[in-house]
Amino acid sequence: MTGMVDIEKIRAEFPILDQEIHGYPLAYLDSGATAQKPQTVIDAESQFYSTINAGVHRGAHELAALSTEAYEQGRYSVAQLVGAHYGDGDDEIVVTGGATAGLNMLANAFDHASFDGIEPFALHRGDEVVVSRAEHHSVLLSFQELCRRTGAVLKALDLDDQGRIISDKAYLESVITHRTKIVAFTHVSNVTGAITNVPAIVTRAREVGAVVVLDACQSVPHLAVNFHDLDVDFAVFSAHKMYGPTGVGFMYGKRDMLEKLPPMNFGGSMVELAWMDKPAQYMAPPAKFEAGTQPVAQVVAAGVAAQWMMNIGLDNIEAHEQILVPELLKLADIEHVKILGPLSSQDRIGTVAFEIDDVHPHDVGQFIDSRGIAIRVGHHCAQPVHRHFGYYASNRVSLGIYNTSEEIQRLCSAVADVYGFFHR
Amino acid sequence: MFDGMSDAELEQMYQEVILEASKSPHGKEKFSADITTAAAESDESSAGATTTLSANHEYCVSAQSHQFNPTCGDEVTVRVELSDGSNGEPVRIEKLIWDGQGCSISQASLSIMYDLVHGKTLEEAMELSRTFKQLMESRGHGLDDEQAEELLDDAIVFQGVSKYPMRIKCALLGWEGLKDSAALALTQVGK
Repeated sequence: MTGMVDIEKIRAEFPILDQEIHGYPLAYLDSGATAQKPQTVIDAESQFYSTINAGVHRGAHELAALSTEAYEQGRYSVAQLVGAHYGDGDDEIVVTGGATAGLNMLANAFDHASFDGIEPFALHRGDEVVVSRAEHHSVLLSFQELCRRTGAVLKALDLDDQGRIISDKAYLESVITHRTKIVAFTHVSNVTGAITNVPAIVTRAREVGAVVVLDACQSVPHLAVNFHDLDVDFAVFSAHKMYGPTGVGFMYGKRDMLEKLPPMNFGGSMVELAWMDKPAQYMAPPAKFEAGTQPVAQVVAAGVAAQWMMNIGLDNIEAHEQILVPELLKLADIEHVKILGPLSSQDRIGTVAFEIDDVHPHDVGQFIDSRGIAIRVGHHCAQPVHRHFGYYASNRVSLGIYNTSEEIQRLCSAVADVYGFFHR
Repeated sequence: MFDGMSDAELEQMYQEVILEASKSPHGKEKFSADITTAAAESDESSAGATTTLSANHEYCVSAQSHQFNPTCGDEVTVRVELSDGSNGEPVRIEKLIWDGQGCSISQASLSIMYDLVHGKTLEEAMELSRTFKQLMESRGHGLDDEQAEELLDDAIVFQGVSKYPMRIKCALLGWEGLKDSAALALTQVGK
């Protein structure tokens, strides 16, 4: 038992954790790449296919009604998880093919808006889009391409020596200016684990009237996140990092923003009236953004994952991780080990990237894996933040609700043996 | 407590020869841009480009090839200088240098490749390249051909690596650079 929740009981819900790798019990420390799934989520997907699979928002038969209801229940649970509006023509959660798909959707919608001159999104030559140096490539590249196509200028918020986005007032005023139309940044870095000072950036963005996009992939699985409280205009996150299925993610948008934002995917289920000789009349959000058959079973299972997290309690999830973070940060005490990111538990999650002197991450990963411990090595799809620290790649540990002190001790003792093995 | 097979396997993969070669690699010289520096971000020519160079010596052709493994960041630029065969002799690798960074497998493989092919005829080098590729595709079983294994000399230590599909590319990266740069250099013969 750790803190408020019984971790052993939670672990028992994850069938995948009950196995040996190279003769050791699996220690899965790569939840930042994808989290494992509790049985209830796995069952939800298969139950859907075994009992009520049918097209949603179309057809009049019984299964179509049940499947539509299950799909909307999924949207409702996800909306609840992140404090978004649901129902009564007030929906704020849009289903996407994942967080990357969501970010591309947004950038493409801003591109369409620029073509049609739809405010407040339209970009013109000389307008500025601000991201940060900590971004995952899915933010960086989506908005870099948007700038290239529209003639806007891409600017970046820099990082301090611990990898945090610099957020003091004077600095933000110097980067986010009256030319800035969009500010897109990560809530929590997938490399450093640092939690961004969202209020400071949002406050500055509001002063200049910029639209705010938040990458919440790494925050939603770890923290109690409320997009209304954060006051961002848009946010994206993926289901598979929050104990849900792959292939589906969500885009949050303030209701008035979703109403103004033009659609970027066209096809079935998003149009009210279509003609041969004049522009179509599109449906209201969220349907406007959900063209074609959606990953229905996955939305249903994602809703179950959201409900499962709420049943444990977001505060409990946060508290459990906060107990483990200081243990994880002890990695910095091991000889030849350097952490890329904040060295204190303050405003960070249990995602820790580190380097070992003169041992390439690929070799580190191989060694750690031989002890049955799964960590990620590479650039984690965030090359600029690695260059910020003077590296190309790193080793990354990222925690989930099922991780234990014992696993972290095993990790630390494996890490302590790496340098010696490669310099024997 | 858990003294499984894995430790022995790990040591079989990372043999002394590999660790040694990766620490003091042969043929490595500093002549290429570094992808870890912020400066490289604004220098478009530094990464991914394949450049053809003019030869340093008469009767020689030279070229270089940049190879990159984006998943882990292994990268290498291989520069080769070939005799152009104008004197009727077979084309020979007159000079070979490389620059790069990466895991111990990629670095050691480059060093051992340098020892194997430096000064050899291009035909001999390409034969070695094919044999090494076969070894890496053997899934840990080796070549079942004593003569071929003897030819590979120190490179035979990578047999243990061939068991790990994620690492085969690391061992082959330098050889790809050699093939590519040699092919590029050959296009200049007779020009």
